[in-house]
Amino acid sequence: MPRYAMVIDQERCVGCQSCTVACKSEWDVPNGSARTRVRNAGVRGDYPNFVSTFYVSQCNHCDHPTCVPACPSGATYQDGNGIVRVNKALCIGCGSCVAACPYGARYIDAAKGVVDKCDFCAERREAGLEPACTLTCPANAKIFGDLEDTGSTVFNMVYRLGAQRTQSAEVRIGPNVYYAGRPEHVEMAAAAFPPGEPRTVAAGRVWSGFAKKVVYLAVGTTFLGQAVAFFHQLATGEKQFDE
Amino acid sequence: MGNKLTRRQFFRNTTGTAAIVGTAIATASPQVHPPGLRGNTRVQQIATNCEMCFWRCGVMAEVADGKLLKLQGNPHHPLTKGKLCARGNAGVALLNDPDRLKYPQIRTGERGEGKFRRVSWDEALDFLGTKLKELKQKHGPESVALFPHGVHSGFFATLMKAYGTPNAAEPAFAQCRGPRDIGYQLTFGRPVNSPEPVDLEESKCIVLIGSHIGENVFTSQVTAFAEGLSKGAKLIVVDPRFSTAASKANYWLPIKPGTDTALLLAWMNVLITEKLYDEEYLDQYASGFKELETHVGSYTPEWAAGMTDLPAAQIRETAHLMAEAKPSVAIHPGRHVTWYGNDTQRARAMAILTALLGAYGRKGGLFLPTKLAIGRIPLPQMPESEKPRADREANQYPLASEEAHGLTQGLINATLTEKPYPIKGWIVYGQNILESIPTRQQTLAAIKKLDFMAVVDVLPMEQTRYADLVLPEATYLERYDPPAIVTTSKRPFVSIRQPAVEAMHESKPGWWIAKEAAKRLGVSDYFPWADPDDHLRRLISPLGIKMDELKALGAVSFDGKPYIEDRGENDGPLFPTQSGKIELVSSVLQDLKLDALPKYEAVEAPPEGYLRLIYGRSPVHSFSRSENNAWLDDLMAENPVWISSKAAESFRLTDGQKVILQNQDGVKSPAITLKVTPAMRSDVVYTVHGFGAQGPSLKKAYQHGFSDTALMTRIAVDQLMGATGMRVNFVRVLPAERA
Repeated sequence: MPRYAMVIDQERCVGCQSCTVACKSEWDVPNGSARTRVRNAGVRGDYPNFVSTFYVSQCNHCDHPTCVPACPSGATYQDGNGIVRVNKALCIGCGSCVAACPYGARYIDAAKGVVDKCDFCAERREAGLEPACTLTCPANAKIFGDLEDTGSTVFNMVYRLGAQRTQSAEVRIGPNVYYAGRPEHVEMAAAAFPPGEPRTVAAGRVWSGFAKKVVYLAVGTTFLGQAVAFFHQLATGEKQFDE
Repeated sequence: MGNKLTRRQFFRNTTGTAAIVGTAIATASPQVHPPGLRGNTRVQQIATNCEMCFWRCGVMAEVADGKLLKLQGNPHHPLTKGKLCARGNAGVALLNDPDRLKYPQIRTGERGEGKFRRVSWDEALDFLGTKLKELKQKHGPESVALFPHGVHSGFFATLMKAYGTPNAAEPAFAQCRGPRDIGYQLTFGRPVNSPEPVDLEESKCIVLIGSHIGENVFTSQVTAFAEGLSKGAKLIVVDPRFSTAASKANYWLPIKPGTDTALLLAWMNVLITEKLYDEEYLDQYASGFKELETHVGSYTPEWAAGMTDLPAAQIRETAHLMAEAKPSVAIHPGRHVTWYGNDTQRARAMAILTALLGAYGRKGGLFLPTKLAIGRIPLPQMPESEKPRADREANQYPLASEEAHGLTQGLINATLTEKPYPIKGWIVYGQNILESIPTRQQTLAAIKKLDFMAVVDVLPMEQTRYADLVLPEATYLERYDPPAIVTTSKRPFVSIRQPAVEAMHESKPGWWIAKEAAKRLGVSDYFPWADPDDHLRRLISPLGIKMDELKALGAVSFDGKPYIEDRGENDGPLFPTQSGKIELVSSVLQDLKLDALPKYEAVEAPPEGYLRLIYGRSPVHSFSRSENNAWLDDLMAENPVWISSKAAESFRLTDGQKVILQNQDGVKSPAITLKVTPAMRSDVVYTVHGFGAQGPSLKKAYQHGFSDTALMTRIAVDQLMGATGMRVNFVRVLPAERA
């Protein structure tokens, strides 16, 4: 089984946000939200000796994700490749997973009423394509690969060059986004954007989300569609599909 | 007399990519890049060139049912290799911008009022034809000036030359890279050109003087920069502000603005007095070393320390760092270099320093262009203008460009003063004259004197409100443009722009507008090609590439000869200067009786209580052209003004506070957000250029942030070539509630 990971090379990253917009374009991310974003970690030091760097954040596809058990509808799950994904058909948009993620990687798409986040471009990968963000990155600062593959760049960067996970004493859930570069840059970014405390949402919100979904299901298009198809077939007889 | 001859010889070498003299011609058969992945087969992939900025990266447009789904980098593009920046990815939002100009319009209200009536293309083009004929009859063809921009403006350049005017000018010269190209041309015999042939990926030492790669994003340049650094190149960044590039540097030199030439001369002094230059290279290729040695003798690091605010020891150390890496030292010539009015001489100093390190034509330095034998479309003889260009007086600015590049502010002055003769008509294409040219008040005053102004644009920029005729152009995703013929790449290449989708609304491509206008003006002979395919075919026919191949892949590249060792006898002179050598002492400047070696000239310091206004770029915007883009606005909607902690403290200002800037002439900015940082000099304020749109028709961008250009009421003109130095404006930073 592969173990997918993303390494951010902070030495290369220039903070240009190409990844953010390529991802937005690929996945129709609404304005104000992002599946991956680039943030400046500020400056440290005294004139004229300063340190500054960028922090690229996205879903960490944690080994022990807090969002999966937080999801009341089973929409959020870990797939066979260890990638944390959202089944939007099951999502009730309650926001439990958004609160449960210590990395702020999830958002609710208000127009669609569902949660979204990075899934390492699962559909692209299945089509044999690399993630939209790594493809577009002018600095080649985002590197995607399989940690089980000892010949991969990510393996080299994580196990030989010591790329770091962003964790804290309290939050150690095995994130699979790693950060490489000068130690002071990696440390600075991690300190500027530490994982937060996983939170839970009010039960009422969860239940109202469920209620909505249940109503949708009850009078859902599936049933109606089936019914229509059934009567249609009765009327016209069985037909062979071309494809 | 002597001067005139020199000038003409000089210009024989300057203009046009295809006219580069003394560069090797690509010989090997073209290499076709293998077809890449196609994804869902039902989606059509159309290869074209981006125009969110001027780098022309290769894009693949994914189109289904005539609708653009998304843009991706084109992996077949030999320079940009599938990379696309934030703006390039956001091209979708330009195409779908609800504020786009949708149909031709003729002004009905006052200039600037924004009242128009919708007209048909026929009426619009007839109106254009009638007006231009009227002006020609009344005042002569010289009375119309063209303000073009970009390679694709060539159709309009042809149109207006055929009409008979010598007057055209784009800000790319006098507000951007003119001084650099002239400075390098004087030294090495050829301009730097674009994309800049800086061998960042192979460099062992990269030197950025005011260049802020990272915030200034041209994809392949960022790729090469990151590659070079990751392979261990040392980095020296000279900038008053701790830029993104500075955060990666071995040395950040927070130089006092305007003193760069002092630093460059001191670096030369160290290299020469300590004999660290590339002696063999200079012996073989350069002339004027002895004079240079004498010239820089007194420019010691100790002397420069007093000018630049940099420690002498640091000036020495950085010189040593370069010397150790020679000849693989990439001193980036910069791009927007119109700073202080002495910019050509600063570019000369950078070129000479490059030569001392043996870095021109060498791996890791600046590489050589490789000429492409591009086809030419024969045109009838252009009418010879009876009058000289209006953008300069007879003996003014001896090295100013003679071609479309010209002097924008010279044309504006001529319009305002009616000297040397009246200019009564303006055609604006691809430029934003109110945001890219300083002294905006003068531009507005000049517009008032016009009988006719036509603007061809994609978006309702503020300037369209002043026009008599507004013609909606199709975006780059909907039109054909002349191909990019790029010689300043290690593999020279041809890449194309072709429509990915049909033009929306009633917008039309520039080539069609120019060709139709030519019919009205009776100059159709100058547009002898039938359609874009015919145009493209004629240009690429000598290169031996197939049309369908080029259209499918978007670009075809050829073997290049980027380094001196690649060049043979048949590849033309290595250094096409007058002497055939690298001219440390410029013979052209000598003939003109001007400083043949660059010297240091102090610039005016800000008065007490004022800070110098400097400006730069954001990676998510291309000046004002992307300001209305919904996706990019989402990432950056306004431009805060940066100030140092020290200056903020002395003015009792705090981070996040609203302030206004008031310049030396009393011009005020709107209220803007203050960003306080310890990491910049305390004698400057910094902002990102291109915000503060004044045209309310840009619903997204209107009054977002402030315009730095509007505060540039003062310019310092380079006497060699007429560029407008724009870092000579000073501002007070006042709390918004008190101002």
